[in-house]
Amino acid sequence: MRKTQWGVLAVATAAALVLTGCTAPAGDGGQDEDVTLTYWDFIDPSQDNARSVALKENIEAFETANPNIDVQLEVVSYGDMISRLPQAAAAGQVPDVVKMYTPLVAQVAAAGVYQPLPEAATQIDDWLRPIDQLVDAEGNQVAVPYEYRTCALFYNQKILDELGVAVPTTWDELVDAAAKASAAGYVGFGSGFSDVDNSAIISELFDCFMAELDQPIVDKDGKAAFATAKAEEYSQFLADLRDAGAYSSSVVADQYSTVTDGLSNGTVAFGVLGTHRVVTIQSVNPDVQWTNLPAASDGSQTGATFGFTFGIGSSSTHAEAAWKFIEYMTGPEAQARMATGGEVPVRAASYDEDYFSTPEAETVLAIRDYVENYSTPNTYAANWLKIATGLASAGQQLVLNDISASEYLQVAQDAANG
Amino acid sequence: MSSLTTAPALSPSVPAVRSRRRDLGVWLYTIPVCAIFLVVFVAPLAWTAWTAMHETTYYQLGAFSGADSFVSLLSDADLPKQLGITLAFSLGALVIALPAGLLTALVLNDIKRFKRTVRSLFLLPWLMSQATVGTIWLWFLNPNFGPATAFTTSIGLGKTDVFSDPVIALVAVTLITAWWSYPQAMLLFLGALQTIPSELRESLRVDGGGIWHGFVNVTLPYIRNAIVSVVIVLLMLYVQMVTIILVTTRGGPLEGTTTLSMRVFNQTFLDFDLSGASATALLLFAVNIVLTLVAIRFRRKESL
Repeated sequence: MRKTQWGVLAVATAAALVLTGCTAPAGDGGQDEDVTLTYWDFIDPSQDNARSVALKENIEAFETANPNIDVQLEVVSYGDMISRLPQAAAAGQVPDVVKMYTPLVAQVAAAGVYQPLPEAATQIDDWLRPIDQLVDAEGNQVAVPYEYRTCALFYNQKILDELGVAVPTTWDELVDAAAKASAAGYVGFGSGFSDVDNSAIISELFDCFMAELDQPIVDKDGKAAFATAKAEEYSQFLADLRDAGAYSSSVVADQYSTVTDGLSNGTVAFGVLGTHRVVTIQSVNPDVQWTNLPAASDGSQTGATFGFTFGIGSSSTHAEAAWKFIEYMTGPEAQARMATGGEVPVRAASYDEDYFSTPEAETVLAIRDYVENYSTPNTYAANWLKIATGLASAGQQLVLNDISASEYLQVAQDAANG
Repeated sequence: MSSLTTAPALSPSVPAVRSRRRDLGVWLYTIPVCAIFLVVFVAPLAWTAWTAMHETTYYQLGAFSGADSFVSLLSDADLPKQLGITLAFSLGALVIALPAGLLTALVLNDIKRFKRTVRSLFLLPWLMSQATVGTIWLWFLNPNFGPATAFTTSIGLGKTDVFSDPVIALVAVTLITAWWSYPQAMLLFLGALQTIPSELRESLRVDGGGIWHGFVNVTLPYIRNAIVSVVIVLLMLYVQMVTIILVTTRGGPLEGTTTLSMRVFNQTFLDFDLSGASATALLLFAVNIVLTLVAIRFRRKESL
């Protein structure tokens, strides 16, 4: 009997200890409770490039200022992030801090990746561009921008000088100039219809062109609805390039990196890329310049604002600490450090930092002005990946099956809604 | 009767006890294997079928939908093309990797000097991950700066642009996959070749038999079952291949390299249609079984 009583006591004690361990409230960075934040980023802070160094310094500075918060960064490639985040949401293992590209915020929000940002997020009111499109289906703010980009026309000045061609200011002029470059043995207009890299280059051009045309990409039900007469200006541009022989012979299989490589090595005359490529391409080939997007038929040159964003993972039990980290990373000190790596800060307050008075900040400031004056955020639905794939697939048919501009739009839209 | 000279008769229960002990021993060996089989094969298969019979939103199961996903799959106009591409890709890679593996195994089996070094060199493709293989070939065949283009341009053939045409892209990924996988066939055949008695080779040499005669009458009968095994292993590998296609073409251009496996991948990670992907995965499983059963029919039943 005594043995039984001691045994029961031992079991009860063990159970009590286990239950205490299981139900102790998780630290949330408040007071002095120790918190570990998980954070996925594709930038590897151990690398020796400007962006990696800036990220590493930012994390170290945040941890120094918040000694009870440990930021555990896991390097995850961007492609993996897109597929792993919905899985993590289903498994209840989303990282505390989620980094995601603007067009995909709605898609990952629909997959249950985010939790709404805390009330404190509404206190920030100096974002350079509106942020009200970074919401979930219920209209809750789920992400804030971390860096800004928009599309720009890149051109090789040396090739233009050789051909005696002026920098085009309309899409028709661009086709003509690209045709001349092509006739001279260059790739007239760098683009790509491969979807190996999630159709990055063609979807970026599409995003900016639709913003320029003020053409909504999706309807109120979230279905792709861009196959309109207005949007034909975009697909006609693509068809005209084809007819002018301005594409690379391998355009069907080319990716974003093919075009950046081509601009860097001087074989591509023109390309429309994101402003985040300005510094890297010009550092390799100073002949490459950038300017506003060509104007649409109504004179508009306003492309889409996009870039990477931060949000709080739906599984996170450290929302307060996670927001503290996001607030720091989007704040002036961290953003100034980030700008040394070529990224464009998202808040007006950041530009009061000393770095932006230096000559090194000239390019970032120029891009900042361009983003502010020539871009506007688009609204995306939860099917951006399918839209992007549809655009690439339609582009392949444009080149290989010679479809028309209107057929291109219909094919892309049908693929997105399929 | 003396108890020393007459052995006592065994009771009827002794054979039963020995039989029960033998049965217990058998179960002790088979239960762990059955448990693992259940966990890694039966359970996931059942879960896949269960998922295919439900509506899904991203990775969450919704309402029961019965056979809707299967009906949708079988009525998809793209399915016959994808089945055809799967068979063309799998059988195409097989007819290259199988003889290549056998040939290299035969050569390696006869090498006496530097055997290990030569064998390691032949194994190199297999040692690389599929992603690395795809990336390397993507670079090698790059039409703008790849070594292949440099060579073909220098001899006046123009750029290598294999991934811009659906048919040529399919041939390219088939060849790449065969190149990566033939060492596996080589290894399996090398093992089988060790089972051939050396006396048979000696007597064939004494009788004046040639290489072909020796291969047909001595080697082939001994490795026939190994050939069947290699066919099964390789076919299963090719039917399920995703990574090399994903890295090089992602199923394009014009879905010319979209196999059933790529369809499963796209449905899972692009469309987030887990129900449809599960139905396709079950079809893929059925294709695998059919191909395997066909191959098994050629297995030699008696041993030599």
